[in-house]
Amino acid sequence: MPAPTDPGPDGPALVTHAETAMGTVFSLSVVPGRLTGQDLRSALGAACATLHHADAVFSTWDRQSPVSRLRRGEAVPGDLPSEVAQVMAECQAASQASGGWFDPWAMPGGFDPTGLVKGWAVERALAVLRGSGIAAAMVNGGGDLAAFGSPAPGRRWRVGIRHPWRAGSLAGIIEVGAAVATSGSYERGPHLIDPASGLASGRAASATVTGPSLAMADALATAVAVGGDEALAVVGGVGGYAAYLIRPDGSETGTGGITFMS
Amino acid sequence: MKRAAWYLVAGTVAGFAGVVVLHGRGAPAAQPAAAGTGGGAGPAQAGQAGSSAGPSPASQPSQPARSSPAAAGGPAHGATGATEQFGYGKLAVKVTVSGSRVVNVTVPVLQTLDPTSQQISEQAIPMLKSEVMAADGAQINGVSGATFTSQAYVNSVQAALDKLHLK
Repeated sequence: MPAPTDPGPDGPALVTHAETAMGTVFSLSVVPGRLTGQDLRSALGAACATLHHADAVFSTWDRQSPVSRLRRGEAVPGDLPSEVAQVMAECQAASQASGGWFDPWAMPGGFDPTGLVKGWAVERALAVLRGSGIAAAMVNGGGDLAAFGSPAPGRRWRVGIRHPWRAGSLAGIIEVGAAVATSGSYERGPHLIDPASGLASGRAASATVTGPSLAMADALATAVAVGGDEALAVVGGVGGYAAYLIRPDGSETGTGGITFMS
Repeated sequence: MKRAAWYLVAGTVAGFAGVVVLHGRGAPAAQPAAAGTGGGAGPAQAGQAGSSAGPSPASQPSQPARSSPAAAGGPAHGATGATEQFGYGKLAVKVTVSGSRVVNVTVPVLQTLDPTSQQISEQAIPMLKSEVMAADGAQINGVSGATFTSQAYVNSVQAALDKLHLK
């Protein structure tokens, strides 16, 4: 159960809660502000409830989930919870923005929003925390993060980008105002499918995208992880978003707009 | 960014204390299959690997937990994950903080799968153009990366960070 920690010398204490959902773990780091005790627990609980709801609706593993029924053609979006149509619309927008490198409709087994829906779920959970009166929060959904507020006075949220080949090292550190997503195959094996071929892509070791929306950033990171330099060029033209690519040979490139801290 | 010396300390958990040193491309390939001193070889055992490299980076003792805080910011405390798949083997990460500052990150457990895997990682790593940054000394609130499974989370840097604020 989350509880405040002693304030450290560097500012107010963060409270962290870790929640397993969607096959990964979501870390909710909050600056409680005026919320204490039961109010804080309620806010964290409500945020976690949105994650489990998203899991129930969008699981492609659960054959009875709404999205599984959609994939099998047993239901149309109008029959399903309204979130399905929302996510489909965001998938459509992200697919267009990515030049087709992100295409949930081209996945084996039918419509698969996995590359976007985790970021979308993180944003929903973050919105619950924001609405609760919590002073600041960052939610990390298995490596895709969204945040609001400041972790400490005058500070911004600082996020390390995991090095693709060194689990204990970082490829860099950035400050995050809203959202950052990273995609790659080093955790779960080759699952990034090229929409054009239907086969796993090997054009990137790691692809990171920052921007205002984590759902979009998540999808664009998937796109760059699949499409490598070609997709990076497309994402570079999407207003408000920036991308950073580590190629399979270890060389790096980016769109500009991502500043690494030293 | 600080160039991170790539050193790994293995074996604090099970009581055997071998040290594996992988030091850049100059070091001879460590043989992960090399048996530990205690016999009883098994694939999971990260025994003492050859580190004939002379000036090895300061090999950490097997119990690096109580490293002195960088600043007088209160007592340091640390959290260690268990063993995580990292693509070419398994390792565990330990994070020590003082206040909200990460003052030390060590890898107390390393198990590579086979010599080929080790070759791959040693080839790939030096090709990175930018400098690799150890989480050691970094002030971070979270880690962005490819989606980990809930099993892999347990031993991730993110989990170690989370533990610092969990009650």
